[in-house]
Amino acid sequence: MWRWGGAIAALLVIQSIALAALFWLLANGSHQREAERGFAQDCRELSSLAPAVRRAELREMLAHDIHRDRFLGLFTRDGRLIDGNVARLPGRTSGTRSFVATVQPTELPGKTSDVARLRLCGMSDGTQLLTGLDLDDAEEALRVVERSLIFGLIPGLLLAIGFGLVAGRRAATQVDAVRGLTARIVAGDLEGRLPVGDRPDSFGLLCAHINAMLDRIQSLVVDVRGVGDDIAHQLRTPLTRLRARLERGLREADDINSFQTTADAGLEEIDQLLGIVAALLRVRELEDHARRSRFAPVDLAKLVEDACELHRPTAEDRGIELICVIEPIEPVEGDASLLIEAMSNLIDNAMKFGPPRGRVTLSLAREGASAVVTVADDGPGVPLAERSLVTQRFYRGRHDCEGAGLGLSLVKAIADLHGFTLRFAEQGSAVSLIGPNSKD
Amino acid sequence: MTHILLIEDDAGTANEIALELAGHGYAVTHRVLVSEGLAVARGDDVDLLILDRQLPDGEGLDVIERLRAEGRRTPALVLSALGSLDDRVRGLRAGGDDYLAKPFALVELVARVQALLRRPNETRDTRLIVGPLDLDLLAGIGTRAGRALDLLPRELKLLDYLVRRPGRIVTRSMLLQDVWGYTFEPNSNVVDVHMGRLRRKVDADGEPQLIRNVRGRGYVFDPSV
Repeated sequence: MWRWGGAIAALLVIQSIALAALFWLLANGSHQREAERGFAQDCRELSSLAPAVRRAELREMLAHDIHRDRFLGLFTRDGRLIDGNVARLPGRTSGTRSFVATVQPTELPGKTSDVARLRLCGMSDGTQLLTGLDLDDAEEALRVVERSLIFGLIPGLLLAIGFGLVAGRRAATQVDAVRGLTARIVAGDLEGRLPVGDRPDSFGLLCAHINAMLDRIQSLVVDVRGVGDDIAHQLRTPLTRLRARLERGLREADDINSFQTTADAGLEEIDQLLGIVAALLRVRELEDHARRSRFAPVDLAKLVEDACELHRPTAEDRGIELICVIEPIEPVEGDASLLIEAMSNLIDNAMKFGPPRGRVTLSLAREGASAVVTVADDGPGVPLAERSLVTQRFYRGRHDCEGAGLGLSLVKAIADLHGFTLRFAEQGSAVSLIGPNSKD
Repeated sequence: MTHILLIEDDAGTANEIALELAGHGYAVTHRVLVSEGLAVARGDDVDLLILDRQLPDGEGLDVIERLRAEGRRTPALVLSALGSLDDRVRGLRAGGDDYLAKPFALVELVARVQALLRRPNETRDTRLIVGPLDLDLLAGIGTRAGRALDLLPRELKLLDYLVRRPGRIVTRSMLLQDVWGYTFEPNSNVVDVHMGRLRRKVDADGEPQLIRNVRGRGYVFDPSV
């Protein structure tokens, strides 16, 4: 937090000083250049005049100096004042360059010495001209810069430190919040979320993203835990049954035939268990969307026809009328085996849950640009309250006494993989696979 | 004697497979590692490979790829506990001839082995006469000892498939895959219902059974009865 504040304050101070220095340098430099240009002009003009005219001109120039910031003096070769407003030559003299020195003004009331920028140049008759400019103006400018630096810099400094502290504290608080949250996640608590304001800044948006990510992770974890519990539960019941059956079979079997009956029943039970495991693996694999790479154009009409043909003897044996209504349709991208598996599951369900000796209709129709495969029966259908549940793994309706409750979750997984929608009819018992969705 | 090389790292599974295959008259050599398996497979007397995907020293498919690169065409059956969908394709692409996902029934394994070792009778004949059966595929008519069987088109195809594989186990999943053309494990016994109807038509009361059920999972067409 202090680092933030300090860094921001230091930056602001450095910037102010740099700005002031630049201003001072530029102002001072231009002042000196202007003064030197004036001096050179004085030397040139006065040098070319006759001595008497020169004195008169010098007086004229002093008379015109209404700001009283000019110093002019004509001196003999040995330094005696001939005329002017400076008492004597300054100690140091030099050639064409100007210099800063103290002079004794003779015509400034109340002032016996003054700092001036000066230049000394020789006249044509051997006398010397001292020309100069009072530095009071330049000093004043410098003082203004100093003053403005001090008065500007101190509040700026305070402002910078204050701003730095606030910004630093804010950043530190936000980072602390994220750190605290990650620590809790590492400890296994996925409930926590980062605070996001009503009008979030960029950090707030980042927090919102992190929260969304956590929501997804949490739902996945819950899913995984749930599936783990489900699997354990689903396998425990048939395993218990199997164990009891084998135990009793071993105890009671007195000939090879009854022993074989026990073993056969056991095998059947194990096959069911393995079926559950295989179906689970398939659902998971389908949800990984790994099989899409093998999609090819599929003729849904032929699939529906094959599905009907495959199930017709079973339907007949159960006294169910299986009706197929097929409307020709363009091929869709998909996996034929998976799609017919989904249809087969829906037909199985319809025959299982529909009324005995009823009707099951498998139809293929066009709805806009989508194909619609519908399996309908005469029954009441899936109760409204259970519709969102039936596609979950291991969900079994009240009337479902056999099966593992994986059929519809498999159908849903296959539909999702194909970008198809699974739709339950508002009334009656009809489940439709609709797709492919245009966004795919 | 037909020699099968089994490369499988789970001792229990390997033992069961070896015993089952031995029971069907095959000689089985069992190896655990890819390196050991390759050494045996390079011998000239191996008729069939059965290999697991995940082995202690590498990927079982590598064995097939190496053998294929060396020009050996020994048929291979890939076993895997990995997911069954894309994996099957990978296995077949790597040069495997068939693929069986764990867990599998032993009868399924034997059926696949038999299918790999003996190609079916793929004659283009449209008239098949085997034992008392006479199938006219063009006319869509089948008779048994002169008795018309009154077969539906699908039933004729099923019988055709069985008749071309006499004495060999044919499983539900093989029928669905080869006769219908779909690879999935139906929830219900739809294939068995088709087969039940076919059997009732082919084997009338009092006649010797030409089609036998094998342990609830497969069928054998046996014209020798």
